[in-house]
Amino acid sequence: MTGRDEHRANDPLDLEALPGQASHLGADEDDAGHGPAADSQGRGKDDSEKLDQYLLRRYHLHGDRKAREQLITMYLPLVRSLARRYASRGEHFDDLVQVGAIGLIKAIDRFDLSRGVELTTYATPNIVGEIKRYFRDKGWSVRVPRGLQELNIRLNKVIDELVPKLQRSPTINELAEASNATPEEVLEALETSQAYNSVSLQASPNGEGGEEDAGLIDYLGGEEEAYDTMEDRTTLAPGFAKLDKRERYILHLRFFEGLTQSQIAERVGISQMHVSRLIRRSLEKLREEIGELENPQILHPSGNDK
Amino acid sequence: MAERITLEVPATVNALSTIRTVLGGLGARLDFSLDDLEDIYLATGELFRTALQDDSLDRLSVEVEVADGELRLAAGAFSSPELRSEVTVHEESCLDLCMLLRSTVDEVDVEDTGASYRVVLVKRRAGESP
Repeated sequence: MTGRDEHRANDPLDLEALPGQASHLGADEDDAGHGPAADSQGRGKDDSEKLDQYLLRRYHLHGDRKAREQLITMYLPLVRSLARRYASRGEHFDDLVQVGAIGLIKAIDRFDLSRGVELTTYATPNIVGEIKRYFRDKGWSVRVPRGLQELNIRLNKVIDELVPKLQRSPTINELAEASNATPEEVLEALETSQAYNSVSLQASPNGEGGEEDAGLIDYLGGEEEAYDTMEDRTTLAPGFAKLDKRERYILHLRFFEGLTQSQIAERVGISQMHVSRLIRRSLEKLREEIGELENPQILHPSGNDK
Repeated sequence: MAERITLEVPATVNALSTIRTVLGGLGARLDFSLDDLEDIYLATGELFRTALQDDSLDRLSVEVEVADGELRLAAGAFSSPELRSEVTVHEESCLDLCMLLRSTVDEVDVEDTGASYRVVLVKRRAGESP
């Protein structure tokens, strides 16, 4: 069942209610032949599309607020359906529905009648985008301005493009040029990644928020055989048992094999910025773990931050 | 001509952000790559976190200097023998501070300054010889 079908199936205001729902809106000579009343003998997708178009025309051409409200009500099941996909990510389902509803309202308000697309087609990426933005905003432990967050996410993509192109790690000036920002803004945006907490794996890395955008999860590499083949000396190093395979592998590549972060990113199939975050997180785990071992003779025994 | 910036910061991890900002600005001027900058950030962060654990400090003095394509950071004034050992001694198969510093910067040095000492980290642009 598609999202649209699901939405229709759950929609109490769907086609069965068409005549009654449309009647209160009144007829409009401009819409003669396009309103639901004109097609009410039929059933199914065509009818609902025509009702959408009718209500959208009522709202956009005549400022009919009731038509707008009816569209919102009709499409709330779609919002709930999309919000449900993200409900297991630590946010309240009701909050996600509210956020998604904002995306729906924006879609209805910005809908361009002349483009000839269905409202569902236009609204779905708007709703998903609004939910993704919510996760992205909530993923920062320190409030970081939206512009910097988006530049940070954009830089992720720019770095991934520049490394293979330049065959080396880009400089700050190159990143600034490629991302239409100043070097200071790039440095500031990179610094904000220190405040980065746990952005949704489905959050769009390019900041556009469309449904077709790849999520961060698409940038994560799969389980590599190489994770299992690293040398024993790495896995036996103090504290390493607390790390997962990929973290051990990345630390092994960086500190035992001497690869740069960009090289590791290419090897593992994730972004350089993600490598940076994983290294920092892994070192943090090691610090905590070695602190817990209560063995002051083990090197690098630092515990919690002061 | 060498450019030198001296900072006196509270001995807390929060000060790291300020230091990273200075390192980033100067590193960008030297046309450091992102990998180079990440390395010096990592080295400085780990040095400071270890120092804060090992040494009873109220304030940290940090001097950052750029000249001839290299960035030089000197931090102190430390007195902890444990920190000195961690900076200079590597135990095989351990990802210890010594190994981490040597993997990320080009030079690690300890400069004695009377009763205390400074740790000096030097990072050069990738491919630059000393």
